[in-house]
Amino acid sequence: MGEMEQLRKEAESLKDEITAARKAVQDATLQDTVSGTVVVSRVQLKTRKTLRGHLAKIYAMHWSTDSKLCVSASQDGKLIVWDSYTTNKVNAIPLKSSWVMTCSYAPSGNMVACGGLDNMCSIYNLKAKDGNVKVMRELAAHTGYLSCCRFLSDAEIITSSGDCTCVLWDIETGTQKTVFAGHTGDCMSLAVPLDFKTFISGACDFTAKLWDIREGQCRQTFSGHESDINAIAFFPNGNAVITGSDDATCKLYDLRADQELITYQDSSIMCGVTSIAPSLSGRLILAGYDDFNCNIWDSLKAERVGVLAGHDNRVSCIGVTADGMACCTGSWDSFLKIWN
Amino acid sequence: MEELDETQLKFQVDSLKLQLQIPREKTSVSVPELVKWIEEKMAEDPFLNTEMMRDNPWVESGKCVVL
Repeated sequence: MGEMEQLRKEAESLKDEITAARKAVQDATLQDTVSGTVVVSRVQLKTRKTLRGHLAKIYAMHWSTDSKLCVSASQDGKLIVWDSYTTNKVNAIPLKSSWVMTCSYAPSGNMVACGGLDNMCSIYNLKAKDGNVKVMRELAAHTGYLSCCRFLSDAEIITSSGDCTCVLWDIETGTQKTVFAGHTGDCMSLAVPLDFKTFISGACDFTAKLWDIREGQCRQTFSGHESDINAIAFFPNGNAVITGSDDATCKLYDLRADQELITYQDSSIMCGVTSIAPSLSGRLILAGYDDFNCNIWDSLKAERVGVLAGHDNRVSCIGVTADGMACCTGSWDSFLKIWN
Repeated sequence: MEELDETQLKFQVDSLKLQLQIPREKTSVSVPELVKWIEEKMAEDPFLNTEMMRDNPWVESGKCVVL
């Protein structure tokens, strides 16, 4: 047997052992555990604000930790920081490259970041002494598009890329600290939990991976989706992960038991999921779809309990504030809407 | 998804060995704990408690605001 053939067999055998280990701890299902639980009553959120100003498709948005300001990125070549209460634009930042695919707000509120087909992550300082917002760093090393970025602090940021890797960067020096390799398809999305010790990534290899940031290793791989995973988020308690895929479903994965718990799907939904976010308690999962809507799911009973309808094109991004008071959707129709 | 070369295959095998070793909790423990966490947090979830929306910063209270 050639070396490659032997390695392939070993990989398959290890995957079978992981499957068996998962089955061995599967002594209860989510469905059975909540069989006596009642579905939440219909959730009707209204559009409270429409943020108007972008001139082209919005690809990403991210709330500031203050639950008031948010940043959005559009292929009109701008990053806009909004005061969502008043709809005023706090900053309108022109980008060097208009092919932006992601943006992120630093937890401190001091910086925002973005990137896209330029394969770079650009960091902007919002609090410069002269009041002008300038590029602080350009993090370049990825050999593919930047699909997502999330700050760990003002000093570190994690990026995911079409080159199939995720990278932890030192913002001060502009260098790569760790490269997280293992996905065999474009990495599309990433999420960081409150303790900042791990992160999860979703990719075009149909899997989600949990990574140990300091060790630089993949701890867990979650399969089940039948197409690209476009969106991923941590459950509020950090013990579960939710994913959204081109296969028109969302899934809930239990990190402690290392397995899928449930799928959120409906035969009437045939288009891809673009974005996903849990409500404060995690009882509701809000997911944006290619069919211009956002569905609200009861996470425990896997039933649809609401719809956010109001955009005239694909919902590309969604985010719930840290205090759980509102949700923001961004769309290819160039508008952002605040709902609660 | 491209075919992996020998180095990538070795890397994948090593990664799978690590992933096999992680401790796994029984779902009869992790699932009820997850459900309990959610149910307790629901009382604080603004989307599930309309009275929390009485002070809604995104709704005009009717007064003029100095910007």
